Amino acid sequence: MLNKYSLQRFYKGWQIFIENPLGKTGVIILVVFMFMAIASFFVPLIGPMYDPMTGIDPDIRVSTGPSLTHWLGTDNVGRDLFAQLLEGAKVAFIVGLSAAFISIVIGTLVGMVAGYTGGLLDAFLMRTADIIMVLPSLVILLILASLFGQFNIWIIVFIIAIMRWPAVSRVIRSQTLSLKHRPFIEASRVAGASHLRIIFRHIMPNVLPLAFLYMTFRVTAAILVEAALSFLGFGDPSQVSWGMMLQWVWKSGHMFQAPYWLIPPGMCISLLTLAFYLLGRAMDEVLDPRLRKEGQA
Amino acid sequence: MAKTDPKKNFLVEIKGVTKTYFPRKQFFARHQNKVLALNGIDLCIETGEIFGLVGQSGSGKTTTGRLLVRLEHPTAGHILFNKVPISGLKGPELKKFRSRAQMIFQDPYQSLNPHLSIAETVMEPLVVQKIGTPETRSEKVIHTLETVGLSPGKAFYNRYPHQLSGGQRQRVAIARAVVVEPEFIVADEPTSMLDATIAIQLFKLLREIKETFGMTFLFITHNLAAARYLCDRIAVIHEGHIVEINTAEKIIRNPEHPYTKKLIKVQPGFKYGR
Repeated sequence: MLNKYSLQRFYKGWQIFIENPLGKTGVIILVVFMFMAIASFFVPLIGPMYDPMTGIDPDIRVSTGPSLTHWLGTDNVGRDLFAQLLEGAKVAFIVGLSAAFISIVIGTLVGMVAGYTGGLLDAFLMRTADIIMVLPSLVILLILASLFGQFNIWIIVFIIAIMRWPAVSRVIRSQTLSLKHRPFIEASRVAGASHLRIIFRHIMPNVLPLAFLYMTFRVTAAILVEAALSFLGFGDPSQVSWGMMLQWVWKSGHMFQAPYWLIPPGMCISLLTLAFYLLGRAMDEVLDPRLRKEGQA
Repeated sequence: MAKTDPKKNFLVEIKGVTKTYFPRKQFFARHQNKVLALNGIDLCIETGEIFGLVGQSGSGKTTTGRLLVRLEHPTAGHILFNKVPISGLKGPELKKFRSRAQMIFQDPYQSLNPHLSIAETVMEPLVVQKIGTPETRSEKVIHTLETVGLSPGKAFYNRYPHQLSGGQRQRVAIARAVVVEPEFIVADEPTSMLDATIAIQLFKLLREIKETFGMTFLFITHNLAAARYLCDRIAVIHEGHIVEINTAEKIIRNPEHPYTKKLIKVQPGFKYGR
């Protein structure tokens, strides 16, 4: 699938994308967060004191403000907030990207199959999608979490993905419907190609760009849901995340006493989701020529 | 209409075929407007001939072509291919039939997948039909590209449809149809999207292909001049009925049905009777 044509198109799309102010801003913010996520791997190497989960500064018993040893200060048990923030970036990427990826895979497959086969299967899949689409994912997650206790981060990722595929599948389905009757699909049928071959070889390359567009919006949604869940106290307690940091600052009663603790994770959540949103908007422009500026091919 | 002559060797026989399209069912709609695309047509195509199907837009000529390659099923009637009804074919038999009957589509801008290279497009029927090994397939593809006038074949091998002109694209589409060496090809207005000089070149190409491979063609067109140039026999179709079948010369010189006369009259370039 990754052939020369796709690469050429990708390169051309990238040029339009990076010229777009929205896309450029999104990429810059994203790169900063990526460096943060990468840095999180090296922070614990400085010393056990800087481990975001277990590293406790022996000299500190209460939350302290920014200092040279702790750039953003510490929380109430003496853990380094900057280390936690970096760790949070890593977790946000893992949660956002993997949840979005799973939902895109499910959504694309369901959309292509429903659009291509039509009939009863189509009706069944789309009604299922409708039902899931109207369920409030955060509330479902809260109910499940209170039923089964604390979830591991991967179960949270998986549930977010399961809740978020229907919108993707609808878009992919409509695209498949319009592709289905194109002569090149019929030529393939006349040649004797199987349905699977038509779906994966002819329809999939034509819907993938759209799937990736939707993936960026899913990332935003997944990060927000995970943050909300963690803040409400239903996150994975063994995992530092930005939502978890907010939960700790609230639970320990430092909400209005320690702005150095409250503001950074909040800002990070907003900025990272903004970055993915901007990315999506710029990609939209690449995929929809009507949104492009004059003179861009 | 067509008298079945037992002495003649018919590759394709259409017997009383009717095709009705039902527009999407609407709730609460009392009457369903159905569209009768073909109304009990009979047609026989001899082995080795180029058979022209001429008619105006909406006359059912494309529907006939699509039925013959089993892109659609007739509402009533039978289609025999080599004396075997094609509507009952399933599984491996259907796949075998797919390698024996191919189609060239009208719009070369729509009939090639933009994501596949020329080689991948032309090779697809071979891959699907499991003909040859990867090496012999690519040789066959290059050879076929050269046969359809895209030479040197190697130069086109790794290109993509958007790098080709309309005429070149249609040649690729022809290559895809002939690469499995089918017995029967439906050419559905293959030149209507192209300009006249390219069209003439493609007609010549179709002739050459017919002579080298000995294929049978159903040539669908709205252009009587093109049909006269290319076809051995012509059927004129009007509103789902075959109104006249005859040899190309007789249809042009001596049309019997008033609709055929009208069709010839509106044709720019020549007058009937001449």
